[in-house]
Amino acid sequence: MKTRRSFRLWDIFYIIMMIVPLAIGMVLQILTKPMAEGITLTGARIFFTIPMPLQDFYVTESQINSLLVTVTIFFFCLYMTHGIHERVKLKRQHFAELIVEKVDGLVNENMGEYFMGYSPFIIAMLALSAVSSLSSLIGLFPPTSDINVVGGWAILVFILITYYKMKCGPLYYLKSFTEPIALLAPINFLSEFATPISMSFRHYGNILSGTVISTLIAVGLSGLSHLVLGWLPGFLGEISWLRVGIPAVLSIYFDVFSGCLQAFIFAMLTMMNVAGAFPMDEYEKRKQRKQIKKQTT
Amino acid sequence: MQTLPIISINIWEMLYALLNLLILYLLVKKFLYQPVKKMLASRQATIDNDYKQAEDAKEKAFSDQKLYEEKLSHAEEEADSLLQSAVLSAQRRESEILADAKEKADGILRQAEANAELELKKAEETIREEIISVGTVMAEKLLKREVSAQDHKDMIDTFLDNIGE
Repeated sequence: MKTRRSFRLWDIFYIIMMIVPLAIGMVLQILTKPMAEGITLTGARIFFTIPMPLQDFYVTESQINSLLVTVTIFFFCLYMTHGIHERVKLKRQHFAELIVEKVDGLVNENMGEYFMGYSPFIIAMLALSAVSSLSSLIGLFPPTSDINVVGGWAILVFILITYYKMKCGPLYYLKSFTEPIALLAPINFLSEFATPISMSFRHYGNILSGTVISTLIAVGLSGLSHLVLGWLPGFLGEISWLRVGIPAVLSIYFDVFSGCLQAFIFAMLTMMNVAGAFPMDEYEKRKQRKQIKKQTT
Repeated sequence: MQTLPIISINIWEMLYALLNLLILYLLVKKFLYQPVKKMLASRQATIDNDYKQAEDAKEKAFSDQKLYEEKLSHAEEEADSLLQSAVLSAQRRESEILADAKEKADGILRQAEANAELELKKAEETIREEIISVGTVMAEKLLKREVSAQDHKDMIDTFLDNIGE
């Protein structure tokens, strides 16, 4: 009975720690956000600046929010695997198993057996991207609508892609640019950098466009409301009635659906690109050759 | 409060996001992926073990059944042979007893016959003695003459032997 109580206390602690970062984000938002005057579309607000070489490091909303999202996901993981047991004792375990098995299946399908170690990476990427995008639902600045955040992830993916292309040696990597013919080398070189740029711009653009469209619709509906229902007496005429409910419906698409879809697309592209960059056949051949060399010497 | 322009490139922010993703990857791996995988593996092991045990138990049950069936059929055979041997010994005993009884009866019969013969001989002897003495007296009276007893005996013996033939 005593262990049960402590178990429950830990559960409550995890849940609180899941909610607290989001609450902190909201409080910060309320405390620091100036009242909007008309239509303003700006990037993340800068909290403070850390001087760094090359470029100052601005600690903005997107940095703070992505940190908060990370903490939330971390405690969500702890909550999910708390009390995990062979014989299922808690319902949440089914969900944890579902996540792991689905992502495992996805990775196995898209990347193959060799890349099974990427499962937790894909889970982390999906979770971070989706929760970041969905954080706009509670009024936070979604970190994914900042090009720097998504760009950082895309750079990581680019590093991974290049790492796998380099696995067969730098010479083989350089040679791969001249395929199918040497004339295409510049285009191949460009397309190498196009991958992370297109990935980051796709994701960031979708989330930002959602925010932009939501803002535009809210402002437009407000104007329309004044125009159509402005004749109502007193303060009733000043309330923009059309802004009640309609933006929420649209936000289901622009925030929820688009956010989840972009997270999925980003993860899929990561899997495709990383797995596609690895010349498996060539790698196996080299490995065999090396082994033969080793045996002869 | 200052804001960033809506599109701005900042390498440190990119680095921050990159590290953020990497750290979250490590956290997810350590606290979600590995525990679940470990649990799944141990569950698989348990299930495999259970299946193996069940299989073993089944096999053992089958072999036991075979053994018992064999034993049972053996037992029937044994019982048959036991019964047969019992019947055989009983028959033997019966015939022994019968033979014994017959022997005894024969012995008794022979004894009786012998006895009867002896009695007969004795009776014959007595009768002969009587007849001899009666004959002697009658012959004395008839012939009124002295005949030696030996002569008489011889005469009557021959006479009786002739009759007895």
